[in-house]
Amino acid sequence: MRVLLVEDDDLIAHGIQAGLRARGLMVDGVKTAAQAEAMLPAVHYQVVILDLGLPDEDGMRLLQRWRTDGMALPVLVLTARDAVEDRVAGLRAGADDYLLKPFDLDELVARLHALLRRAAGRSVDVIEAGALRLDPERGEVSLNGRPVVLSRRELALLAALLHARGRILSVDQLKDSLYGFSEEIESNALNVHIHHLRRKLGAGLIETVRGVGYRFNGGGA
Amino acid sequence: MSLRLRLLLMIGVSLSLLWGGVAVWMLRDLDDEMRRTLDQRLAMSARMVAGLVSQNPAAWDARNGTAGVSTLTVPATAKGLACQVSSLRGEVFARTPGTTPAAIATTAPGFAEREIDGERWRSYTVEARGLRITTADRLIERNTLLRDVMVAAIVPFLVALIGSLMMLWIGVRSGLVPLERLRQALARRAPDALTPIPDAPIPRELQPLVDTLNKLLERMRVAISRERRFTSDAAHELRTPLTALKTHLQVARITRGQVAETALEYAEEGASRLQHTLQQLLTLAQVEGPFSWDETQRTYADEVARLAMRDAAPDTPKRIVLESDEPPVELALPQALAVTALRNLLDNALRHSPAQHSVKLEIQSAQDTVSFRVCDSGPGLSADELTRVTQRFWRRDTGRGSGLGLAIVVAITERCGGSLALEQRPTGGLVASLTLPRAKRDGSNCDLRCRADHGNNEFASGHKHADPD
Repeated sequence: MRVLLVEDDDLIAHGIQAGLRARGLMVDGVKTAAQAEAMLPAVHYQVVILDLGLPDEDGMRLLQRWRTDGMALPVLVLTARDAVEDRVAGLRAGADDYLLKPFDLDELVARLHALLRRAAGRSVDVIEAGALRLDPERGEVSLNGRPVVLSRRELALLAALLHARGRILSVDQLKDSLYGFSEEIESNALNVHIHHLRRKLGAGLIETVRGVGYRFNGGGA
Repeated sequence: MSLRLRLLLMIGVSLSLLWGGVAVWMLRDLDDEMRRTLDQRLAMSARMVAGLVSQNPAAWDARNGTAGVSTLTVPATAKGLACQVSSLRGEVFARTPGTTPAAIATTAPGFAEREIDGERWRSYTVEARGLRITTADRLIERNTLLRDVMVAAIVPFLVALIGSLMMLWIGVRSGLVPLERLRQALARRAPDALTPIPDAPIPRELQPLVDTLNKLLERMRVAISRERRFTSDAAHELRTPLTALKTHLQVARITRGQVAETALEYAEEGASRLQHTLQQLLTLAQVEGPFSWDETQRTYADEVARLAMRDAAPDTPKRIVLESDEPPVELALPQALAVTALRNLLDNALRHSPAQHSVKLEIQSAQDTVSFRVCDSGPGLSADELTRVTQRFWRRDTGRGSGLGLAIVVAITERCGGSLALEQRPTGGLVASLTLPRAKRDGSNCDLRCRADHGNNEFASGHKHADPD
């Protein structure tokens, strides 16, 4: 899962980024509304964490504009304003969830997964596809009931493919969900991860669509 | 005591006393007048009889006296006037029937009063041509007459008094209805409702009260909204470093090695920021609150500068250049306040100047004041920012400073009668001039308990009346 974090406070932004990375999520941090608007169309994000007190624009207004423009990504609003009116206004402006500072890192991660799950139309957190079972929040994978050990990148790749529910994902989309913005990506890195996944889970699960990208091909997903 | 009861008592009692006095006065006059009139009637009757008798004195010859009594009958009722004609020697010539002889057997002319058989009589005797004529009436009859007259006079009077008391009660009641309506309107309000009292038609006398009340409500509304905003801002300011602290501690718990180390360092930075914000909040509360400082210690401008420079740049003292050739000047405020104000200005200057640039501090003394001029080489402030810079929690870059520094400086100048002026230098950078009062010759300090409102601080006053945004 790739997350866009819009937070103007360096110290908090660092903390959230480090925490989410430790939990296996890809995070890009930006400090202003303008930067967020530049990043949003450039990268395939699955979810946005938005702080309301931005220096250049009120986060609430930014969110409203995004929703008017048809931006459909789930948005989790992060704020230190705890008045009920603030929360109601945030949800009305188009927020999918609302988390009050200071928050618990585990809660933030759980809410992000819940947002993603809801966006994918599932009501439980575990993704099952045929014999394959993935718990994205815990990072646990099992095949035919036996646990499979995957690396962080492999897990992110599998989660992205499973979330797509059989849609074809382009190489760029897959790279976006695997790597942070500042990370150097070797040209064949994605191929290597796909290869490892096929080795661990069976060759037929991930289908290569020539010239387009990859698709999960595992039964009932 | 309720206003209505007081009005009723005051008007009612004075009305009753006044009219009661008038009534007593009138009744006494009436009594006197009645008695005199009745006496006059008695005397006139006697003279009338004397006049009649004098027309034919021969008929009343003393020698034929005995015959006169038997021939003369004067009709009279049992009650009312009695009359007797007698000779000077006491022979009775004529007498109204039913008259007690003793009642009118007088010798001395004029009025007399005596009691016979349990009845009091009043008589009048006149002598004419050898005859003595006496008229008399019973006092009990007189008193009955008097009482009847009194009752006839007093009953309408009492009715009028009771009627006017009732009218008074009704009048006071209806006159106080607008007041009661106002009271009910106030009682119905929610305890935290600070909206003005609605414009209902009210009497002219109550208008000033309602106006004053509305002004008070408005002042309270502004004060409370300012306090609420401050509380909410303070909560926000404390939550931000707390969030950073908590998040980094959690990261440190779930990671290892360098990442965990870094997280702990960040957590410590968050804790320092939290501490700084708390300290600034406390300072502001102290400056604005009724706290007192040690005022016995003498404060000198050069010492304030030295301490503030040490506090602002403990590690890089050379970044602040002090320019002062003044002899030591004593200030009229506690040292802690002066140092805090100057240190906050130096903090800002250092924070917004490039790292290799120095900050200049000039001290200039005038007749009654000392000015500390802090000149930085930072980006300065726009005209819009200059008006907002002293507001609490305003800061240009988030994450740097508590946003309370200049608010504290302004609070100190308000408390001690100084001023703060910020101006943009044409060559770039900002000049912050802090003007503080000098101690008087006798060394007395400014009275901190009495917070004089000095109007010479444009930022302070601008800040005070700024609308919540």
